[in-house]
Amino acid sequence: MGHKLARMSYSPIIRESEDFGCVICDAEARQLCESRESTPLQSGPIPGYIRGINRRFAEIGEEWRPGDVVMHNHSYYGASHGPDVAFVIPVFLDGRLIAFSTTTAHHLDLGALTPGSCGIVDASDAYAEGLQFNAIKIEEDGKRNEWVWRILRDNVRAAPLVVGDMEAQIAAARIGAERFLDLVERYGLETVQAASEDLMDYSERMLRAEIEKLPDGTYRAEGFVDGFLDHPDPRYKDLKICAAVTVSGSDLHVDLTGTADQIDLPLNMPFEGTVDIAVYLTLRSILLDSATHDHVPANSGLFRPITIHAPEGCLANPRYPAPVIARFCPGNVLADTVMRALAPIAPDRVSAGVGNLKVVAYSGLNEAGGFWVYMDIQEGSYGGRRGKDGLDAVDTLYANTRNNPIEDIETHFPLRVTRYELRDDSSGAGTWRGGIGTVREMEMLADGGFSLEGDGAKHAPPGLFGGEDGTPGAVILNAGTERERVLPSKFPYRKASAGERLLLIAPSGGGYGPPGDRDPEAVAGDVADGYITPEAASRAYGPGTPA
Amino acid sequence: MIVAGVDIGGTFTDLMLYDTDGQDVHVHKVRSTPSEPDRAMIDGLLELCAAAGVAPGQVGAVYHGTTVATNAVLTFRGATAGMITNRGFRDVVHIGRHQRPEHYSIMLDIPWQARPFVERRHRKVVGGRLVPPRGEELEPLDEAGVRQAAQELREAGVDAVAVCFLFSYLNPEHERRAAAIVAEEMPDAFVTASAEVFPQFREFERFTTAAMNAFIGPVTGRYLERLAASLHDAGIPGELHVMMSNGGVASAAQAARRPVTLMLSGPAAGVLGGLWAGQLDGRQRLITFDVGGTSADIGIVTERGVLEAQARDTQVAGYPLLVPMVDIHTIGAGGGSIAYRDHGGAFRVGPRSAGASPGPACYGSGGTEPTVTDANVVLGRIDPDRFLGGEMPLHRDRAVAAVQGLADQLGLGLLETADGVITIANANMAGAIRSRTIQKGHDPREFSLVAFGGAGPLHAADVADILGTREVLVPPFPGITAATGLLTSDLKYDQMRTVFMVQGAIDDARLDRELAETAAELTRRLLDDGVTAEDITISGALDCRYIGQGYELRVPLPGNRFSEAALEEFHQLHRQEYGHAFTDPIEVVNLRVTATGIRPKVERLPVHPGSMQEALIGEADGVFRVDGALVTLPTRHYDRAALPVGEPIAGPAIVFQRDTTVVIPPGWHGAAQSSGNLVLSR
Repeated sequence: MGHKLARMSYSPIIRESEDFGCVICDAEARQLCESRESTPLQSGPIPGYIRGINRRFAEIGEEWRPGDVVMHNHSYYGASHGPDVAFVIPVFLDGRLIAFSTTTAHHLDLGALTPGSCGIVDASDAYAEGLQFNAIKIEEDGKRNEWVWRILRDNVRAAPLVVGDMEAQIAAARIGAERFLDLVERYGLETVQAASEDLMDYSERMLRAEIEKLPDGTYRAEGFVDGFLDHPDPRYKDLKICAAVTVSGSDLHVDLTGTADQIDLPLNMPFEGTVDIAVYLTLRSILLDSATHDHVPANSGLFRPITIHAPEGCLANPRYPAPVIARFCPGNVLADTVMRALAPIAPDRVSAGVGNLKVVAYSGLNEAGGFWVYMDIQEGSYGGRRGKDGLDAVDTLYANTRNNPIEDIETHFPLRVTRYELRDDSSGAGTWRGGIGTVREMEMLADGGFSLEGDGAKHAPPGLFGGEDGTPGAVILNAGTERERVLPSKFPYRKASAGERLLLIAPSGGGYGPPGDRDPEAVAGDVADGYITPEAASRAYGPGTPA
Repeated sequence: MIVAGVDIGGTFTDLMLYDTDGQDVHVHKVRSTPSEPDRAMIDGLLELCAAAGVAPGQVGAVYHGTTVATNAVLTFRGATAGMITNRGFRDVVHIGRHQRPEHYSIMLDIPWQARPFVERRHRKVVGGRLVPPRGEELEPLDEAGVRQAAQELREAGVDAVAVCFLFSYLNPEHERRAAAIVAEEMPDAFVTASAEVFPQFREFERFTTAAMNAFIGPVTGRYLERLAASLHDAGIPGELHVMMSNGGVASAAQAARRPVTLMLSGPAAGVLGGLWAGQLDGRQRLITFDVGGTSADIGIVTERGVLEAQARDTQVAGYPLLVPMVDIHTIGAGGGSIAYRDHGGAFRVGPRSAGASPGPACYGSGGTEPTVTDANVVLGRIDPDRFLGGEMPLHRDRAVAAVQGLADQLGLGLLETADGVITIANANMAGAIRSRTIQKGHDPREFSLVAFGGAGPLHAADVADILGTREVLVPPFPGITAATGLLTSDLKYDQMRTVFMVQGAIDDARLDRELAETAAELTRRLLDDGVTAEDITISGALDCRYIGQGYELRVPLPGNRFSEAALEEFHQLHRQEYGHAFTDPIEVVNLRVTATGIRPKVERLPVHPGSMQEALIGEADGVFRVDGALVTLPTRHYDRAALPVGEPIAGPAIVFQRDTTVVIPPGWHGAAQSSGNLVLSR
């Protein structure tokens, strides 16, 4: 499914960045498997989408029927956030519902107040975020509901791309449904179901075995979201995330009490679809790390040992219709906070503080009068780890997209990348230093505009076990010119004229362990590679280190 | 003409000598000599010549499959490499696509960050910038900067340099000029430019390919030079050719320029050997199934020939590699794969392998963990006294003890456990084949399985059953199929150019001109290799996609000229590959040209049929699963060399030959063919 979706789709956010998910669930909306190409934040929420559709169907007296294709993106009915639209195809055998084949993908535009589907950071409620599809049957009995497609085409910018991507999603979901039926035909429903139960139990056992090795107790950490650094009201900045992780035998409970109250700007995180996924995926990456642990099937059984609580009305469990569209960065802070809470009991499996991401929507009008929209994701970096420096310049924690080649961007959009490399002198010093963030600068070659959602311009990724904090990121408009201006880490759509440049600087990760314990050869290597100047090296690691 | 094929693997060096006039064939297998690989080749060739009664001076050409370039990458032993790239873009090869290779991991290493081909200290940046759509010069190349960078690299002890500029696939001029300056400043260095290696868009992948080329360039070049010298010293005048990942051979000189094209040298030869075997019996749709001790290599052949991988999917040791490659899928399943119960209680087989040492428990070399080979011994499918033609007797008791240990952990019986090991291994192999065929829109039921390698024919019929495939072909020399494949290959060079043109605005004159230029360039390479003009064929193709998509499909261009029919063909291909076609305009992304220089090659082999009486060498118990039940059945044993042609053998039966064992399960039957193949069907 994922293979075909990436190859058939149109917009770079799907075909190059692979910001999509493909999952088969059973009739009870339990995930059985996911395609390898899926990005975790897209595949993880899919069972929640189906539960949300079921809830909506129950409210309106509707049910699943053969020949349905259901479109869904309602953030308060299980969707991760509005731009991540799911297409769900129910699989029937002899009239009985046996499974769901689902694809989710991030769409370029869903008709919010300004172009693009990221950086809509001034949305004041859910209605301002774009079209909401709550369990809409876009096909019934195998027939397309052309009216819904027309509403869609009339209300989104860059409609050909968005609609093409959606068609690709449906085609990929159909393949999943066919393949699942093939499987059932080959082995019989009973065998497939028994094997599914086995696999879910197996994944559950694997995670329980790892939780059991941890000492019982409650472990806490805090993290901060920049919020709106230019906002006059202090309630909109320095938003606190609190995580208390309680280990009790083979169960693990995450309590987010103490997290900042919800706000009327879109940094709130849907409890189902973002918060739960951030917690699950972080815990599995730590406890069942695929680089050091046998393969564990990605299914719903895996998460049975984990429970989560977030008080209603907080940033991590908002009340409708609080806006949520820009929940991505707070969710990554939440994931990082949960990881750091576990640090004392899993010191060899976590990293020091992680650098957050930035997502920009560049847009403008093309010659034909239509919109072009391009989404560019700037990666973050990891903190140091026991025995290893942090990963440089990667997507972090629950995100794992791909950047778009410069040679693709400049060929297809009136944009020029003028710089893309690692930043200087920025990584958190430590026995194992933090990973290094990037600088990425984009020049507009035609008049248009851009909007940004990012974080980490104020709060540095924390160091761990004596390591130093990393370095925050920054956003600079027209750097090195008379028009140079520092911008906050998130801003709504602003117009830009040809020749203007947007410079994004990613945070660099925190250090792990005391800097004084770093291998002098590693320091010398960093100096030789230009990651750190000799002066900064002797400041951070003490005199006598190479110059 | 007498031609030799030599495939040097990690453990064995396989050799074949073929007289294209007399159609006479001789084969040989010797232990590899990893510290000086040419020794096994020369000794083996001289022994083979002696056995065949041929003077070494009569060998007209030597075709070689090598792991030298691949091993340099896998073991990360290469040159101290440097790079010259655009100012502002020093870390393209370090940042990559900013994606972690593993979703669910904190402690992972990223290959290009943990083991960079070019360390940052050796990545120099210079002014100069090209831009789309045609590679126009936005900023001229800073030639003085290039010269200074080259001097710094020389002083730093760098001995190979990759020149990598953005948009060089549209305009290679900056790279060419910079490479020339580097060559002046560093006359002894290996210098390579990204668009010269492969001029395709996507800078991380192209730069990494060039960096890898630089990293392995010196070591591969030295190896090929030494090999040529050794052949010369041994009095073997035949020109050396090396198998490339694209399924063609290159002259040693061309291979040394582009060692990144040798990554699948041996496995590609295996697929060609499978193709040759299939063609002997007129089969066009083949799944090649090469199973050895640690891994299984799977290749696909259709009416269009050997399936090539899409450039987006090709990688070696976790690094992306933008060169044409036969689509070979390798999984960790082979005779040495270890069966175990994991701590979640699951019964698993592989990918960990007992390898050649200690090897399976039944080798008696210290291995105690049960392997697929041990399970085959327990089930009576491998005869301990006939392994490797009886040269290496196996210890059945040790196989039983190892499998029994696992059986106790699982709470199953001995035979059930052994059968479980085989079932899981077969399911893993069948799963890999399904993913390669069905994912690309092919139905495995319409294919024949060509089984080779030491363990392929042991498992092929069972794997075919899982896939619904009705026929298995076992080639004449299943243990040296790659060496056979080497002797079926032609010289084959690929080149491509990225063009980006949209339907409705296609500049067909420019396309045709660029096709012709590219064809001329490749033709020149073949003429340089001594191919005569009449032996050269050219085939052109376009990589197309719907405008806006990110992946291309390849459409052949009959006559090597653009025509609208090619775009029609694209809709068809898209539907076949993805089950869906769109109505949007089509974008031509790349043009591709393949130039083939025909070489003399192995055709049919002489067959010396025997009789059923001679072939039947015994009977013993074999354990098979029939209709879900595990049953012990009297199983006849045959000697393949003595089989008559065309007389069927009913399963259960086992056919022995020196280099493999063929299992014919109940419900299947097998018959030797006049082609030399053994064909199993049901």
